[in-house]
Amino acid sequence: MNRATTRLRVLAALPFVLTLTTYLVLLALWDDRIPDTLATHFGGADGARADGFTGRTAFLALSAALLLGLGTGWTVLVRRTALWGAWATAGFAGTLLVLLVRDNLDAVDPAGVVSPLGNLALAAAVAAALALVGLGLTRLVPEGDPAGPSATADGPRLALGASEVAGWSRATASRPLTVLAVLALAAVPAGLLLAPWPGSLLALLGLVVGVPGLALSRVRVTVDRRGVTVRPALVPRPRVRVPLDEVAGASVRELDTAAVLADFGGWGYRVRAHRTGVVLHSGETLVVQRDSGREFAVTVPDARTAAALLNTLAERHGKV
Amino acid sequence: MLFRVDPASAVPLGDQIAACVRAALADGSAAPGERLPAARELADSLGVNVHTVLRGYQRLREEGLIELRRGRGALIVPGATAPDRARLVSRLREAAADARELGLTDEEFVELARTSLG
Repeated sequence: MNRATTRLRVLAALPFVLTLTTYLVLLALWDDRIPDTLATHFGGADGARADGFTGRTAFLALSAALLLGLGTGWTVLVRRTALWGAWATAGFAGTLLVLLVRDNLDAVDPAGVVSPLGNLALAAAVAAALALVGLGLTRLVPEGDPAGPSATADGPRLALGASEVAGWSRATASRPLTVLAVLALAAVPAGLLLAPWPGSLLALLGLVVGVPGLALSRVRVTVDRRGVTVRPALVPRPRVRVPLDEVAGASVRELDTAAVLADFGGWGYRVRAHRTGVVLHSGETLVVQRDSGREFAVTVPDARTAAALLNTLAERHGKV
Repeated sequence: MLFRVDPASAVPLGDQIAACVRAALADGSAAPGERLPAARELADSLGVNVHTVLRGYQRLREEGLIELRRGRGALIVPGATAPDRARLVSRLREAAADARELGLTDEEFVELARTSLG
């Protein structure tokens, strides 16, 4: 992970750390004023009266877990352009929790607790203010792609004779995706036969998940004189290809789960602002830099050989 | 797996393709049970005739290194001994080439191989 990413994560975690600290300090201060049962849900119709209740210990644990969970999610998935969202979320959730506890203070009968609608407005205002703080802090994070073109200029090479022709080919699979796709496809005939008509037509939705899922569950990656091609292992189409003409360079990256989520937002065929990827698992990834500045990534074992060959072929083609 | 062939070499292209698979198996970049690219696909990839690739695959099958199944393509034989078998075949082919260089006839080489079995 590079410095810019680390800084971005820290700045995303910060509002949640601050909120959680403030919340815990207030809880400690109010310790003997918090009742054993708190009103935690309020009906909108009859003057915001309480109609849902939670025990004190459960509430404290749940509320702290909520802040921790939101904080972890934002820290892992944050993007530079969305940093303000982390601050807004922390502000909104934190304010609501604090106001909720405040309304419950010294309550003898939790059913008598009233939470004015103004609480929501106040939380929204705090969220908006913190969003502006987050927006300002975005400037502290350098812009640009973590994997710049410089990473590929000194990418791996392969010694290839002048008259030699070379190609690299490798199949790679995702077991969870295979299982998911097969289950989705199996649900189609089962649903059509067993469910009452016409609701059973909903089972056809299984095709929507199953067919692309199956196509992606096992793919073959090829690097040769034509460029990089990724296609389903068993059929030649549909395929994704980066022609050799458009290859600016290739490199290898180790993608762990956090990097997959942060850079691609999940597994499968992913299209993001600066990159496209066929991400089937974690681990070795062939990253192709295109002339346009976009990145094409595919998770595949032995990506080092693929990158070396691609760089060599692109160089021979009069590029790099 | 990396395939590299040199059309300028005296070695037939099919043999070169077979040698790539043996080498990949020996150095671990191809694993037992792995599926090789379909012959037509590999031919397109390298810009050679599909029959050339099939000749290479056929040779590997005779050496017991791959299984050819109709409609399912070529599969490296499963089992932990496949890499060692690939190395053995490579050494045998080297020995055969050496024998030719020494001026031995094919019969003499086979006789020599039989003798070394003891």
